[in-house]
Parts: sequence; structure tokens; C-alpha cells
Amino acid sequence: MSTVVPRLGWAAVAGALAVLPAVVGPYYTNVFVTFAIFAVFSVSLNLLLGYTGLFSFGHAMFFGAGGYGTALALKHVSGLALLPAVGAGVLAAVVLALVLAPIVVRVSGTAFAMLHLAFSQVLYVLALKLRAITGGEDGIGNFPIPPLNIPGVASIPMKDSPQNFYYFAIVLLALSLWLMWFFTKTPFGQVQLAIRENARRTDYLGFKVPQSKAVIYLVSAAFAGVSGSLYGLFHNLVSADGAFGALVSFAPIINIMIGGIGSFMGPVLGTALFLVIEEVTSRFTERVELVIGLIFVLGIMFAPLGVLGTARKLRQKWRADREARASVRRTA
Amino acid sequence: MDQTTAMYVAQGLHGLAYGMVLFLIAAGLNVIFGMMGILNLAHASFFMLSAYIGFQVVSITGNFWLALLLAPPATAICGVLMERFLLTKVHAFGHMGELILTLGVAQIILAAVKGVWGTESLPLKMPPILEGRLTLAGLDYPIYRLFIIALALAILAIMSLLLYKTRLGKIVRAAVSDAGMVNALGINIPLVFMLVFGIGIWMAGVAGVAIAPILTVFPGLADQVGMDAFIVVVTGGFGSLLGAFVVSIIFGLLSSYGVQFFSQFASVLIVGFMAVVLAIRPNDLFGAKDA
Amino acid sequence: MNNILETQGLFHDFSGLQVLSDVNLHIREGERHAVIGPNGAGKTTLFNVVTGTYAPSRGQVFFKGRDVTGLPPNELSRIGMGRSFQITSTFGRLSAFQNIRLAILSKRGIRFSLFRSVDKMLEITHETDAVLERINLTAERDRAANALSYGKHRALEISLALATDPELVLLDEFAAGMSRDETHYAVELVRRLTEGKTVVLIEHDMDVVFSLADRITVLHHGEILATGTPAEIRQNQAVKDAYLGDLEV
Repeated sequence: MSTVVPRLGWAAVAGALAVLPAVVGPYYTNVFVTFAIFAVFSVSLNLLLGYTGLFSFGHAMFFGAGGYGTALALKHVSGLALLPAVGAGVLAAVVLALVLAPIVVRVSGTAFAMLHLAFSQVLYVLALKLRAITGGEDGIGNFPIPPLNIPGVASIPMKDSPQNFYYFAIVLLALSLWLMWFFTKTPFGQVQLAIRENARRTDYLGFKVPQSKAVIYLVSAAFAGVSGSLYGLFHNLVSADGAFGALVSFAPIINIMIGGIGSFMGPVLGTALFLVIEEVTSRFTERVELVIGLIFVLGIMFAPLGVLGTARKLRQKWRADREARASVRRTA
Repeated sequence: MDQTTAMYVAQGLHGLAYGMVLFLIAAGLNVIFGMMGILNLAHASFFMLSAYIGFQVVSITGNFWLALLLAPPATAICGVLMERFLLTKVHAFGHMGELILTLGVAQIILAAVKGVWGTESLPLKMPPILEGRLTLAGLDYPIYRLFIIALALAILAIMSLLLYKTRLGKIVRAAVSDAGMVNALGINIPLVFMLVFGIGIWMAGVAGVAIAPILTVFPGLADQVGMDAFIVVVTGGFGSLLGAFVVSIIFGLLSSYGVQFFSQFASVLIVGFMAVVLAIRPNDLFGAKDA
Repeated sequence: MNNILETQGLFHDFSGLQVLSDVNLHIREGERHAVIGPNGAGKTTLFNVVTGTYAPSRGQVFFKGRDVTGLPPNELSRIGMGRSFQITSTFGRLSAFQNIRLAILSKRGIRFSLFRSVDKMLEITHETDAVLERINLTAERDRAANALSYGKHRALEISLALATDPELVLLDEFAAGMSRDETHYAVELVRRLTEGKTVVLIEHDMDVVFSLADRITVLHHGEILATGTPAEIRQNQAVKDAYLGDLEV
């Protein structure tokens, strides 16, 4: 019985996702794709942040690498198929992580955060300045988007078919989400948590901490790359601002803060909520910075655990109160 | 001197001026981090805010000197308010909390200046005395930049005097070394923190008004100069004022000569420099202050 | 008779402050060896050097006959050394079960496993539950380590060091902060759990030392003052002087 209900639940979700474009129309379908992309991006950051305790301000690096990797591959390799193109983006992100890993796994805390801020700035500047490769401020646009080829079965065009792209993206993103979820459930996922709680003890128990951090780092980067790659395909444009800009860097942090850092789905919820906040406030003000700033300041001061975290704390408090009252009654 | 040498010297002085401005900002950031372990991501935003307030003062009074006198303290007060009422509330969450909070404040300041003054570049007129150029030994150089260098050196001298020749300075130096101990000795550490924070922001504020006539006042100021200052602090070594000074100068010169000879790659060069330093000694820089 | 652990000419200083001076420790396989000494004698530093927290300024450490000087803690753990801490150092927000399970995973060499669900690894779960049972933490299996009572938290702390099944375990004041009763209980626990292992313990509580130790080494100002059986140490004049007669139990 215990596995039937969740399974029914997931089937319902799958069903809802399948009919979504037909139900909500093209505008909201696109909004949903954006949501899904940023949800996966935020969860990938949370693998570092919530699960391992490594705070990165510059996760946009890997998002951008994914975008540029895919765009450049499609632009320069004629006849490249769709999935390999996404693969190229993921590869770019992973290579970047490999290059940085030796430095970043030996630092923690503030150092880690600031190093990432610095590195992502480097990449932003590089993206702007290396015009010949990256197209500078204008970025790379209008690169060919090949159809999805399932050999022997079908060739599904993507370029001007938002509906097809929706299904493609959702499948890829859902798969990513599931893989990340599974990752946290492996023995290695326990090592992640251990590092977050007590890196020193983890070392004393026989685990290689820097190497473990490196693995997590690579995995997190890979999935950020997936989301970045899809983002580039979605807009058929990759640019410095869109890939490495401040908003892209801050968005996952905001999403994690709003949704709650301590749970897997927290960032997903946070992404949804932030999107709603953005939609609503954009009707009143253009000052995105104000919204972000206020969320950061008020959030960290009054609700640092985010929605899910605060909810969990409240639930624990209620439970503890109930137990306390019950035990008083028993002894009375 | 001949034309080519004069050009090199002029570029050098440009770089020196910029380096000095960077140092004013970096020094405050450095000391704040050294003493309180807080990396104030809003520091550059205060730098920018001061430039805007300075602009407003000049708009109203037409007097640059008044701007230079009033804007930095006004900004410093804002900074201290942030420290007192916001930062203290998030100590419980460690560095991450402070980073997020100061980041949030930076965004709010950005929104505020855009809201009040718009997104256009605003000019801040330098005082008539400092307009014009100085001709010396075949070198023809704008007086204003020399003024900036002199101003920065003067502040540096005063700060050094305060730090090394006064009792307060001794307390601050001790607090940078071991705040807990100083607190245990009965000295009001929160007050010292507030003071140092305020002075750090004041220096950034002076830098803001000083460089405004050259860079003009625009919302991207914080990001542009802030990144440079941050690089200086990181490569110069957290807590090392001398390191920050040396790197500021190098940085200023690099960016000035770099622009001349490497054009678009100047910034890449600089950031590359930082990446190399970090790659060689990341723990050295952060180790002392890390949890 | 083998020395499972030996230090030769161990010196260590911190920025000019000499903390260990020419320490030559000999720990026999299978014995329970206490290291005692006044505060500041260098006991924890000795532990830190032996367990790889830092490399000694001078000198060598031999484990099972092999030079292990300067090896990092994780490597030492993998070749059979365990260590507990005076100030409880567990995985605070993880449950007692998760804490012990980590040690079991490491013991079994499962450190980079990415392709299985850990909750489905029944053998691991059984082994972890068995350990929890032996330390009487079965009821608190799913409680966060930080939420355990002090005594139980200490039991978890010690158990973490032992769960990787090391041949040599170093216990740093395992009964720190415990009441009389809790200490008695802890001593029995340690005795039970360290059957067949070699134990080196730092201790202040002489009751504990005399109940458990086969031999004692006395450290004073970073130097070894004396090594011997409890009876020998009780008689030792130099030791008595250092402790001002505190050894009378």
C-alpha cells in the first residue's frame, strides 16, 4: 500500500505535464519551461549548498558554460544532432568544473563563495571580450536547432515548434531531477551530508574529503550545464548577460532561500514562488533589484530557512508542544 | 622629456590615480574583513552612493568641496546603520548570512539610486581650481588626477598615524588580531566595530566623490569599480593593508597600461592575474579567517 | 610481542612553543595504554600528531611497523587507526543511525558509490543496527545526534571511532563531562567494545585509568616522565612530584 499512493501521485503529475500545453496555452507553457529550467538549475546548486554545505555565488558559470557549449557546437559542427549538442554543453560545464575543482575543494566557507564570485566574473568578462568566439555582448544567436532524431522511429522538429520543445525539455529536466534525487540517496549522498555536518570527522572516518567534494562539484556542474544548454536552445540565443549575468547567478540562491535549503524539493518550490513574485511585481515596478534585495535582506533576517524549512520547524515545534502537553497530562 | 616618455608617464599617473582610489575602497573592505570576518558585498555600493549624494550636493550648492565634505560621512552613517540594525541580526548564520544580507543591501542601494536619479550617466563637475593641466619637464598632465593621488596619500597618512600612533589605533589593531581578547579586556568591541566600519565606508565614500568627475556617476559604478576593489583585496591578502596597497598600485598601472596596449584584454589580464594568485595560495589568503 | 604503535624522537612546536619533546612511545599490541599528565602536557597534541592532524616538527610515527609519519587522517583510518574526540564531534543533524552507518560504509570501502540506493543496502542497515544495539542506542536510532542526551551522545562519539573496526583506537577523554554513574557505564562500554583491540586513552580520571589501563605513560611539559604498570607509576617519585601526590586513589 505504501508505494501505491506515491506512485499514483507521480502518475498524476506525469499526466498533468503531458496535457499542460493543451490546457494552458503557449504563453504559460513557455513560462513553465523557464520554471523547469531554473528549478533544475537551483536544485543543482542545492546539491552543493544544502547537501554539502558549500556556498557558491557563481553557479551561473556552469549554466553559461552549458549554454555556450551547446551554441558553439551547433554553430560550428554542421549536422550535429540535438542530444549530442546538449551533451556538448554538459561537457563544457564539466570540463570547467574539472579545471576549478583542484582549487575550490581545498577551501570552504567564505573562501569558496568568494572564489566563485570571482571566477564567474572572469567568465562574464571573457564572454564579453572574446567577441570572435562568443559574439561579445550580442552573444551567439540563431544557431541551427536540429530536430530530435529517434533512429528508425521519428524525427521531431524543434526549431519552430514550442510544443515539441516543451516535451523535449520537460523529459530531459525531469530525468535530471530524478538523477539528482537518486544521487542524494546513494551511499555517496550520505558522505555529502557528512561533509556538511562535520568535514573533519568525515576525514577521520576514512573518507577522502577533497575528492568527494570534487565529485559533488562535477555532478552539480553537469546538471547546471543541462539547464543552461536547454535555456540557450529555448531562446535560440546565448549571451554574456543571459548566461553569466547577475540575475542568473542570484536566481538559484533566491530560489533556494525562498523554498528552503534543507530539502530536495525546496528549490523547486522556491523557483515557482519566485517566478510568481517576479510576474506580480513586474506589473508594479521595473526594479528587479529592489525585489531581489528585499528578498535577500528580509529573508535572511526573518525566514532564513525558507518556506519549507520554516514549515518543517513549525511542524516540529507543534509536535514537541503536543508531546509536552501529553506528558503533562500523563503525569498529572 | 620626449613625447613617448611623457605618454608613458602620463599613463602611469593615470594608473596611479586609479590605483589610489581602489586602495581607498579596498582598505576599508580589508580592515572590515580582517576584524569582523565580514566580507561586505555592499561596500562598493556605498562607494557609488556617495558619488550620487555628492552629485546631489553639487547640484544644489554648486560646490565640489562641500560634496567631498558631506557625502562621505552621510554614506558612512548609512553604512553604520546597516551594520548596527541588519548585520548584527544575521551573525547566527555565519558568513553565508552576512554575504546574502550585504548582497541584498547592495541590490537595494542599486534600486534606490536608479529610482531617485535615473539610469543616465550624471556629470559631477570638478572645482575650477583643479581644472586645467600642469606642465612640468615636458609633461602636460591634468591637475585633477594629481589631486586624487595627493588626497589618497593624505588619507593614507592620517589613517596610518591613527592606527599606529594613537591608543584607539592600538585597540583597532588588536581587535583585528583577536577581537574576542580585546572584548575580554573590557573594551566595547561593538563600538570599535561600528567605528571601524564607519571609517571604512567613509574612505570608500571619499573615493566615490573623488573619482566621480572622471568616471561620471552611473548605476554601474558599483559593479565596475567594486569588482576591481574586490580583486585587489583578494590578491593583496585579506587583512594585509600593505598587500592591498601594493596590489592596488599594480592593478591601477596594469589597467592603465593594459587599456593602452591590450585594449579589450586588459580586464581579462587583471582577472587572470588574480586567478593565478589564488591558484597558488588560496588557503593563505583565507585560512586565517575561515571557520 | 609487537609494538603496534611507536613514536621515535617526536618533537612538535607551535610557532616556537615546544609542545612535544623527544617523545618515544611504545604501545604493545592488544594492550590498553593510558596517557596521563597535567593540563598542557601535550597529550592531545600527541594524539593529533599520531592520527595525522598534523605532521610532527621532527621525529617519526610507526604503525604496525610501517612509517606513517605525516599521513592524513583518512589514510590512517583506512589502515586501521580510529580516534575519538574530547569535545564531541559527530554529525549533529544526522540521526544516530546515519552517523554509525557512515562508519560502516567506510569500513566496507564504500566511499564513492553512486549507483545504489543506500537505504536498500540491507546488510549495511543490519550491521549498523547491530552496533546501535551494542551501545544501547536502538531506541534513539532515528533521533538527531544533537538531540541525544550527553551520555548517549558521548557513547555515539566513541562508537563512531570504533565502528570502522580499527585495530588501534585512540580515545581522548572518552568520559569527559560524565557523572560518576555515567563514567562507570562508559568504562564498561569501552571495555566491551575494545575487546581484541589496542587502545590508547588520554585520561584525567584516575578511576578510569586504574580500571582500564594495562600500562600508563605520564607526559609532563611535552616529555615522557615515566612509563609502566599502574603499580609502578603509583610508586614513581618523579610522577608523584609532578602531580603533587594526586595519584592516590
